[in-house]
Amino acid sequence: MNNFSDLSSRLSPKMKMADAINQYHSLLTVLPRLGIPLGFGEKSVEQLCEEHRVSLPLFTLIARVYCLEDYFPTANELQQCRMSDILQYLVHSHKDYLENKLPHIEHHLNTLLEPMDRKYSTLITNFYAEFRKEVEKHFRYEEEVIFPYLRQFISEEEATESASYQKSTFHQQHDDIEDTLNDLINLLLKYIPAEISPAERVDMLLDMYAFSNDIAKHSMMEDRILVPYIQLLESKRHD
Amino acid sequence: MTKIAIAEPSSMLRIGLEQMLRELPEAEIIFSTDNLNSLYSRINAIRPDVLIVNPLLFDYAKRATLRAEFEQLSNLRLVGLVSSYLESQHQRQFAGIIELNDDFQRIKSTIHQVVNTIHADDEEADTAPLSDREKDVLVCLSKGLKNNEIADQLNISVHTVITHRKNIVRKTGIKSVAALTVYAILNNLIEEKDII
Repeated sequence: MNNFSDLSSRLSPKMKMADAINQYHSLLTVLPRLGIPLGFGEKSVEQLCEEHRVSLPLFTLIARVYCLEDYFPTANELQQCRMSDILQYLVHSHKDYLENKLPHIEHHLNTLLEPMDRKYSTLITNFYAEFRKEVEKHFRYEEEVIFPYLRQFISEEEATESASYQKSTFHQQHDDIEDTLNDLINLLLKYIPAEISPAERVDMLLDMYAFSNDIAKHSMMEDRILVPYIQLLESKRHD
Repeated sequence: MTKIAIAEPSSMLRIGLEQMLRELPEAEIIFSTDNLNSLYSRINAIRPDVLIVNPLLFDYAKRATLRAEFEQLSNLRLVGLVSSYLESQHQRQFAGIIELNDDFQRIKSTIHQVVNTIHADDEEADTAPLSDREKDVLVCLSKGLKNNEIADQLNISVHTVITHRKNIVRKTGIKSVAALTVYAILNNLIEEKDII
């Protein structure tokens, strides 16, 4: 039994959305992926979800994984969400990374490396380009292989084979992405000479830490929601 | 911040302990449970630094090999929450012991001691620059050599190469060979033309 009795009161549906975001900043990246725009005045989480046709249990689930370190959903909380909605959120996150976050980082990186000797700066931009390719490849694999497989798995009455074996693949690739990003952060933080774009570098690092945090939450979504969800379905079928 | 998990079957003890630990500024309780199943299912994901656990949760046969139960978490410190007699060879597995009669001061100092051993490990030699030998290994890595080839070239054992590599990663915070190569060039350890 998890003994955090105050868990259910944190991030409750009745909470004002603005209060939730003021307390948990990382929710800011979640909202656009669910199609909830800013400028919502005093509305509550519940009201906004209804207005934008977002499933309230889904919002609560995602928000808690993002914001509460110790949160693991119960079977009941999982069952209130549809797998297709969860997958859609993950696909929207991928799109956000590829279309917004990564180009932003790339642009920023090119600007801040400008004062540096070309011989050195291309090393870093090449490293970044490789990283980006790795991320794109991984997302494509999830969207073209794993997600369709899961959609099929949930639609089938009788499972023909186990889906759990996918989870180790998930995990390894996310770890690789986080490691590479961490390498890049360390290069920028520790080994680029002090005189190269000091102010821009601070901004860049803050952006990269935020991105790294978001990617970590993204992989938590898969560890704490997707995988337990599949296990839950499997165990039901075996009963 | 030290992340603490608690596994104690008695809710009276567990809640009491949580209450006390909340007063320690450097500690954060990230998980608390009364049974082993939920501990096992979550411990690898939440990766606490310290696990305060009552040995009574385990079958008698397992109590002598508790460490092995958590071997995937090599940095995890175990603290025994001892509510009945525990044989001394079982006690030795714990980095610290909390007993029922301990007062708050005593519990505080037990936790402090355990936490300090974590940070002592973290800081050990971390601020030292790369040694000459580590630089040699790094240069070989950047040239694309494998562990056994590096061992041959530097006349050291493969085991030693691996130790040097671990130290390089620990000191620089960089894991991939690609990024280590960038590091080597930025620090003029190697010229770009030397890389295949």
